[in-house]
Amino acid sequence: MEEKIYILVVEDEPEVLDAIVRDISDFESHFVIEMADTAEEAREIIQSILKEGDQIGLILCDHVLPGDNGVELLVEMQHAPETESTQKVLITGQAGLDETVRAVNEADLKHYIAKPWEKEKLVEIVRNQLTDYVLEHVSNPMQYMAVLDGEKIAEQIRKGKSVTDK
Amino acid sequence: MSKVKWVGMLLGLLGFCLPLLVTFPGLSLAGHFAMSIFLLAAIFWMFETIPIYSTSILVILSQVVFLSSQGFIDYSGTIYSPLDYTEFLSTLADPIIILFLGGFVLADASVKYDFDKSMTRYLLRPFGSQTKFIMLGLMIVTGFLSAFMSNTATTAMMITVILPIIAKMEPGDPARIGIALSIPFAANIGGMATPIGTPPNAVVIAALNNQGMNVEFSSWMIYAAPLAIVMLFITWQILIRLYPPAMDAISLNLEGKLKTSRDALILYGTFAVTVLLWVTESFHGIKSAIVALIPVTVLTLTSTFRKEDIRKLPWEVLWLIAGGISLGISMKETGLAEWMVSAISWDQFGYLALLAVFALVALAMSNFLSNTVTASLLIPLAITLVTSGILQGTAGMMMIGLVIALGSSFAMILPISTPPNAIAVSTGMLKTKNMITAGLIVGLIGLGFILLLSMIYWPYLM
Repeated sequence: MEEKIYILVVEDEPEVLDAIVRDISDFESHFVIEMADTAEEAREIIQSILKEGDQIGLILCDHVLPGDNGVELLVEMQHAPETESTQKVLITGQAGLDETVRAVNEADLKHYIAKPWEKEKLVEIVRNQLTDYVLEHVSNPMQYMAVLDGEKIAEQIRKGKSVTDK
Repeated sequence: MSKVKWVGMLLGLLGFCLPLLVTFPGLSLAGHFAMSIFLLAAIFWMFETIPIYSTSILVILSQVVFLSSQGFIDYSGTIYSPLDYTEFLSTLADPIIILFLGGFVLADASVKYDFDKSMTRYLLRPFGSQTKFIMLGLMIVTGFLSAFMSNTATTAMMITVILPIIAKMEPGDPARIGIALSIPFAANIGGMATPIGTPPNAVVIAALNNQGMNVEFSSWMIYAAPLAIVMLFITWQILIRLYPPAMDAISLNLEGKLKTSRDALILYGTFAVTVLLWVTESFHGIKSAIVALIPVTVLTLTSTFRKEDIRKLPWEVLWLIAGGISLGISMKETGLAEWMVSAISWDQFGYLALLAVFALVALAMSNFLSNTVTASLLIPLAITLVTSGILQGTAGMMMIGLVIALGSSFAMILPISTPPNAIAVSTGMLKTKNMITAGLIVGLIGLGFILLLSMIYWPYLM
């Protein structure tokens, strides 16, 4: 794998952050999981990831954070060309309708996960979002078949020709 | 660029310069230039310094520049009479390329209308629910489809069929590995059966055609398909012995309907007519490359296959093949191939030993290199063995061509050996060491069978 793909988890409560990261730890074989507890810290991490030439495939973001809120961060990422393609997911119990609508309209929100979540559900959402990301943005998605949606990736090889006879 | 690619770049350029700086006795001026191009191409192909299809295009351009009558080198007064530059360019429209184009259009249209999936469901029905027979069914269907479609696309399609099956099996069931191996192996083997099955067949057939032989679609099948069929069964046996299924029966979801839209029906009809005309070439005499234009024409004029579909064809595979054909032409015309072959006193080898050497070299090389590249590098040398009288006549030529094409298709020990292998390992269902063990056994038995056929079967067909 030439460039690393990150999963960024933004959550201010340490126990909740740990629980999310633990639930999605299966993806660590192919992705790097980074954690932030405020939008400010998330921005710094994003900058340092981009500086290394790596990508952020997915952000799982809480809404209520100290300082700037989660939707704000997601909208901001949507407007920056380097993070526009990042799959954006809200994982929260407290986002109001207005803010959620804003996240859908202005940050192209891919999924809304209400707390408390079920592990299987979370893993499935993360798998689907990352699969969509690598199919769209990675030249050889085959390398992720084992950990992501293998059928969908194989189907794209069948149709999309990312791999051909040689 | 990675370190390996940089090493390849450096070695390739050194290789290119070597014949320009050193004079090899007995090799003509043109032969030196041809050797420059050969070394550059071989090293770039091996190290994948640039994509392998780019190397092929570079070969064609270099030949126009250094070896054609419109190029920069003045060959007047030397024994080499330079070819017109169109000789090199026209490899991009060689009959075998057109044949492949027809195959690509049929295959891609089949994918577009899910004909490959429908056929799979239909063909798998007779194999029941016993694990080992389902595995045989999967292999036969894979082999059959990959004889007409790309091995890679067939594998990808079959992976979508087997993943749900494997997901339902116990995690420790060895058959999971067996099934995951059976698909790429069957795809590699199935590709041998027809001229359009896999690109090395094209490179070999083009080289034979350039020698004035006329390799028909059906005659290739008569030579190669029996081997593919026998090896499918043997591979199946090897896999169920290495990875005996823990469960006797598995369930297979074969639901799904054949598409019956107007476009889909046009595709089915065109597919049937084209394949029928291909396999009956010896009765009607219409060349397979001409037949190949039927699907291209019919499917595009009925808008069954549209502009965006044409753009998505794997054009780079055609370039890869064309470069291989082109390299063969210059190696022969400049006397380079003959010079290289004469470095070894082949007459000490028996006939069978000679075939065995080429089969073994093809098998060994293509485990690490692209199968097409292997065939492209070996076939000019092999042809020269025939033209210089070491092997006898058209029979010898056909024989060594088959040995090279089939030998390079039997390379399946590593994920890098073929794209189907890479896909299978990527699923995470098996480890590379499983592939090495099974692939080595299949490869060596395949090699044995090639040599056996060259003694007891092929000679009777010529």
